[in-house]
Amino acid sequence: MALCHLPLPRWSAQCRLRSMTATKGPLAPPTCADNSPPCPDVSLNPPILSRPQDHTLAYLPSEPLSLSLPRTHSLHSATRLGSTRLAARSSMASPGAQQLKQLKPLYQHVVNNFVAVLAAPVAVAAAITAARVGPDELLARLHALRAAHVFLAVFVPAAAATLYLMLRPRSVYLVDYACFRTKPNCRVPFSTFLEHAKLVTFVEGASIDERSVRFMTRLLERSGLGEETCLPPAHHYIPPYRNMEASRAEVELVIFSAIDDLLAKTGISPAAIDILVVNCSLFAPIPSFTDMIIHRYGMRRDVRNVHLSGMGCSAGLISVGLARNLLQVAPRGAHALVVSTETITPNYYVGKERAMLLPNCLFRMGGAALLLSTSRAKARFRLARVVRTLTGAQDSAYRCVFQEEDGEGHRGINLSKDLMTIAGDALKANITAIGPLVLPASEQLLFAMSFIARRVFGGGKFKPYLPDFRTAFEHFCIHAGGRAVIDELQRSLGLSDQDVEASRMALHRFGNTSSSSVWYELAYIEAKGRMRRGDRVWMIGFGSGFKCNSAAWECIAPPRNAEGPWEDSICRYPVDIPEVLKH
Amino acid sequence: MVYEQGEEVLPGAVHGHRLSTVVPSSVTGEVDYPLSDADLAFKLHYLRGVYYYPPGDVTRGITTKVIKDPMFPWLDDYFPVAGRVRRDAADVAAGEGGHPPRPYIKCNDCGVRIVEAKCDRDMAEWLRDEAPGRLSQLCYDKVLGPELFFSPLLYVQITNFKCGGLALGFSWAHLIGDVASAATCFNKWAQILSGKKPEPTVLTPENMPGHSPAGATAPRSVKQVGPIEDHWIVPAGRDMACYSFHVTEPTLKKLQQQAAVATGTFELVAALMWQTVAKIRGGVETVTVVKNDAAARSGRALANEMKVGYVEASGSSPAKADVAELAALLAKGVVDETAAVAAFPGDVLVYGGAHLTLVDMEQVDVYGLEIKGQRPVHVEYGMDGVGEEGAVLVQPDADGRGRTVTAVLPRDEIGSLRAALQDA
Repeated sequence: MALCHLPLPRWSAQCRLRSMTATKGPLAPPTCADNSPPCPDVSLNPPILSRPQDHTLAYLPSEPLSLSLPRTHSLHSATRLGSTRLAARSSMASPGAQQLKQLKPLYQHVVNNFVAVLAAPVAVAAAITAARVGPDELLARLHALRAAHVFLAVFVPAAAATLYLMLRPRSVYLVDYACFRTKPNCRVPFSTFLEHAKLVTFVEGASIDERSVRFMTRLLERSGLGEETCLPPAHHYIPPYRNMEASRAEVELVIFSAIDDLLAKTGISPAAIDILVVNCSLFAPIPSFTDMIIHRYGMRRDVRNVHLSGMGCSAGLISVGLARNLLQVAPRGAHALVVSTETITPNYYVGKERAMLLPNCLFRMGGAALLLSTSRAKARFRLARVVRTLTGAQDSAYRCVFQEEDGEGHRGINLSKDLMTIAGDALKANITAIGPLVLPASEQLLFAMSFIARRVFGGGKFKPYLPDFRTAFEHFCIHAGGRAVIDELQRSLGLSDQDVEASRMALHRFGNTSSSSVWYELAYIEAKGRMRRGDRVWMIGFGSGFKCNSAAWECIAPPRNAEGPWEDSICRYPVDIPEVLKH
Repeated sequence: MVYEQGEEVLPGAVHGHRLSTVVPSSVTGEVDYPLSDADLAFKLHYLRGVYYYPPGDVTRGITTKVIKDPMFPWLDDYFPVAGRVRRDAADVAAGEGGHPPRPYIKCNDCGVRIVEAKCDRDMAEWLRDEAPGRLSQLCYDKVLGPELFFSPLLYVQITNFKCGGLALGFSWAHLIGDVASAATCFNKWAQILSGKKPEPTVLTPENMPGHSPAGATAPRSVKQVGPIEDHWIVPAGRDMACYSFHVTEPTLKKLQQQAAVATGTFELVAALMWQTVAKIRGGVETVTVVKNDAAARSGRALANEMKVGYVEASGSSPAKADVAELAALLAKGVVDETAAVAAFPGDVLVYGGAHLTLVDMEQVDVYGLEIKGQRPVHVEYGMDGVGEEGAVLVQPDADGRGRTVTAVLPRDEIGSLRAALQDA
C-alpha cells in the first residue's frame, strides 16, 4: 500500500470557485470539471507511517490503554484536535531496540506460520527417513498393519472433516452496498444553520436564546463538519416541520433511493429478497419501515422482516449481525436486505439545554442499503466477524446517551459529560473481545507475554503492550460520531492519520449520519481506489446503551465502477480540516 | 404556520406564511463581494416586484418544488445574492471618521428566503380591485436590519390564490443591484427552470470602493439622512403605500399628440404624474429623475448603474404647466448627478428623499419572466424605503403598448391621486 510522496500545497477547504475571473487570494486549487478519475492515493500529511508493518514507530498513547481487565481510567477529555502527535519512546534510540525492530518481521513470520514452521522440518525428516528405509521396506510395513487400524485411520478423519463442514456456520457475504446520495437541494451551509437556529420561535415561547446560539456556533466551528452536509427538506423551514408526514417523506427519500441504487448495482429483483432488516433509532412509525419497503417494492409474502428501533448509532452493525443469524437458518443462497438510516426530521431539539443541542449540530441526513447472502456468487466482501459489546449494566454507561425531556418539556437527546470516558471503556471491552479473534498469533503472543510480565514483575516496569491492529486490518471505518470521537479512537488504537482519513472526511462531507456513517467511510476508501482483493476492513460503531459493536470484513472484489455518494466530491478530498472553521 | 396562531385572519388577506431557505448548490468558499459607492448610495431602498400568473393547467403545475429546484443552481451563479452584509473590520477610515465600518457582502451561502402564502380571493378580483398597498401583501416586507448580519438580501414570496392563480413577489435589497439587474437576475432563474442554459453571469470587474471627499453637502437630487447604524430603513413620517394603475394606449396617444415634438413615453407619463402630484400637493418645483440607460451599462450582472439627476421647473408652477412642456424638460433639462450621489460619503435617500422621484423602467424586461412558457399576466414594481416626497415608477405593461405606473405616495394622497386620474 504505497503512498505517493508528492509535495502538495496545503490549502483550506477546497471548493469550486465561481466564474469570477479576478479571483481573490493565492493560487486556486484545481477543480474537477474535467471529470478526471479520482486522485491517486495521496496524503496531505507528511508521510509518517508508510507501511503497515512498520509499527515499531507506531504512536504510543501517553496514557496506555490497558487491555486486561476493564479498569476505570480516565481518558483525556477529548478536546485535543488536529493531527496525530507522534510520541516516540525514549528508548527508541538505543541500539538494542533497533535490533529488536529489525527482528520483529522475522518474529512475526515465524509465529504466524507456526504450524508450517514446525511441519516443514518434520516433513523433511520423514522424507529422509523414508528414503533411507527404502520403498520395499515401506510397503512391507504397510502390509503388516491390521485392516481395522487402516480403516479407522481413514474413516475417523474423514468423518470428522465431514461433520465439521456440515456444522460450521455458513459464511455470509456482502454482495454490494449503496449509500444514499445527497442532493444539493438539501445542503445546509453553516451560516444557514445558525441563522435558522436564531430565527426559530415556537408558540410555547421557548426560543433558542443567544447563549445557545453562541454555543452552537462554537460547536459547529470545531465539529469537523463541512459546508456540504445535508438536512431533510422539512428542516429547511423556519420553524422546521417535525410531523409524521414530513418524517415519512424523509424516510422515503433516503431509503428508497438507496435501495434503488442497490438493486441497480446488484441486478437482483425485490422478489428474491428473503430477509429484510431495517434499523432507525429515533422514528418508529406504524406500519414500520420494513412494511414501507415491502409495500413499495412488492416483496414476497414470506419475507422475514424486522425493524430495529432505539438501538443507537451502532445499530447498523447490529442489523448486520441479525441478518447473518437469520441467514444461517434460511435456505441456502438466501438474500438479506439490510437498511441502516436515521430520520432527522422529528428530532429537532428546540430547547436551551446545551447537552441536548449537540445532536442538532452534528446529525445529518444519510442512509445505506446492503445486500447480504450466503452465496458467494457476485459477492464483494466476506463477513468475518461481528462482535457486540454492551456496557449498559453500569449506570453511567446506561445514562450516557439518554433521550428525555428537558426542564421546559422539549424532547431531546442528552449527552453526558463523560461520554468520551465511557466510549473508551466500551471500546476497550470490544477490543478485548475481538482481539483474540482477528489478531495474528504474533501480536497475541506479544500481548500475552507483556501481560504475564506485568503480572510477574509488577506493573511499573513494563508498559502494557498495545496490539497493532494494522496487522489485522488494512482499513478502518470508525463511526464518524464527531471529531472528538475520531481523535480519541485514533489515539487509543494507535492509528495513523491515513487510517482515520475515511472517518474524518465522511464526517466533513456528510456529517454524523448515525448508523450509516461506516458505509459512507467504506465508500470513501473504495472511491479513492484503495480497496484491493484480500484487504480486511474493521468497522466500529458506538451508540447509546452504551454499545460498541465491530464488524470485520474481507474484500473479495473491488468495486466495478465509480458510482456512489462520493462520485461528485471525491476529487476534492482529502481536505485539511481547520481547527476552527471560519464562517 | 406559527405566525398564524393568535392572528386573526381577515377575509381576503394573505395568510399562512411558511418560511424556508434556498442556498447555492455548491460551496462558494471564502469570497467577499465588495460594494461600490453607487451600491451603498441605494442601501436604504428595497424593490418590491410582483409577477402575476393566471390560473390554468400550466400554473397548477407550478408547485413550490418546481419553483425552488432551479434556485439552487441559479444561486451558484448569483452567489452574492445568497450572502449577508458584514462590516469590514479593517476599515481604518471609518475608525477615524467615527462612522461604522464600510459594509460588504460576505458570500457565505446563507441563502435567500422563500415565503409560501395563500390568499382566499380570486386573482382576477384582486387585480380588479386596484387596492393600494396590495404590493406589500404579496412581497415579504422585511428590510436589512436590525440584525444586519442575518438579514437576507432577497425574499421570494409564492402566493397561491383560490382560483389557482399564482403571484411571485420579490423583495430585493437595492443595495445589491438596480431594477434592471434584478429583473435580469429573475429572468435567469426562469430560464434555468425552463431547462435553458442561461448566459454566464459576469461579476467582474470587481467593485472598487472609491475615495469619497469628506464633508461635501448632499447633491440636490437626494436627501441626506442618518447616520444609519444597522437598521437600514428610514421610517417615513407618513404611512407610504404603493398604488399601481394602468395608463392605456389611447391616453398615451393623446399625450403624444399634445406634444409638439416626438417625446419618449416615459417623459410623457412622468410629466403627467408630475403635474397630477403638483396639483394635489402644491409645489413640487423640482423632481429627481432616475433613468436606466441600457447602452451605458457595464455588463456586470449585479450593479447599480441607474442615472440619477434632477429637473427644475423654471418659471411656472408644474400644476399649471402643460404636460408637453414638462415632458420636454424631463427629456432635455436633467442635471446629471450620478457620480456626485455615489461619491457622497453620508447616508442618503435617493427615492422620495429630496423631491418626488420619477423612475424610468422602460427598458427593463419584466415580462420576460416566463415560467414553463407561461408569461405573467401583469407585473408591477414598487419600492420600500421611499421618502415622504414619494416616487413614481413607469414600467412596461403586458402588451407593451400601454404603461403600468406604480406611485409610492403617502396613503392619504392616494385617494386624491385616484380621483385626479379618473378625471384625466
